[in-house]
Amino acid sequence: MSSRRSRQSSAGVSRISDDQIIELVSKLRQLLPEIRDRRSDKVSASKVLQETCNYIRSLHREVDDLSERLSQLLATIDADSAEAAIIRSLIM
Amino acid sequence: MRPCNSLKLEFLKNWIMGLQRWSFSKKEMGILERKKAIKLSADIAMASARNGTTRWSRALIANAYSKHDKHLVSKGASTEYSRRIRSKKILKRSCRRIRRRSKGLVRERTRILKNLIPGGELMNEGSLIEESLDYIVSLRAQVDVMRSLVSASEVDR
Repeated sequence: MSSRRSRQSSAGVSRISDDQIIELVSKLRQLLPEIRDRRSDKVSASKVLQETCNYIRSLHREVDDLSERLSQLLATIDADSAEAAIIRSLIM
Repeated sequence: MRPCNSLKLEFLKNWIMGLQRWSFSKKEMGILERKKAIKLSADIAMASARNGTTRWSRALIANAYSKHDKHLVSKGASTEYSRRIRSKKILKRSCRRIRRRSKGLVRERTRILKNLIPGGELMNEGSLIEESLDYIVSLRAQVDVMRSLVSASEVDR
């Protein structure tokens, strides 16, 4: 694996082992669209970590964006409209 | 690995209960404040759906409770988590002085990942990977449910 390097682990904190990287890659391959089509032996640990971080950040942004849209929707919703009925039926 | 429906249902149920707690003040809230409340209750709902089985979810609830939005979190869930996390932080703080400065892309990106996962800075790297995977699956469930609600509400606009 391209990420294999002999390095001393610092006190009390272990570095990610190659086995853990292999496991992470195989699971992330199903989750991350960018990695899905690549063969595992060509994906480096740093690339996997980068894709993971990017993906989590994009999910955070989506949650933020969806919260904003919901907030605006609730502000403009007419109390007797069909949309209000949908939301009301969810909360009942 | 699609998020399973039971996770989404658990999230939706928790989220709706959380939203009901502040619904009485919905009319008077500004858009930004309401957005923050929606987002926070969604995050807490997602974390609660894990039932204390993952570290990120316990950390998220403990962090939310320690800030001012106390009314969105049930007291029982959070005090135990806060106590455990506080003692872990004290231990980690003393170890931090011994740790060498990060070198290399893997170390640097691991550090970034730790900052993205709730409570990540307290995890060793083995748990970090497990927690990241669970966190990603939960986030996707949360996004799926929120997206469905938004598109249902935006019909006819």
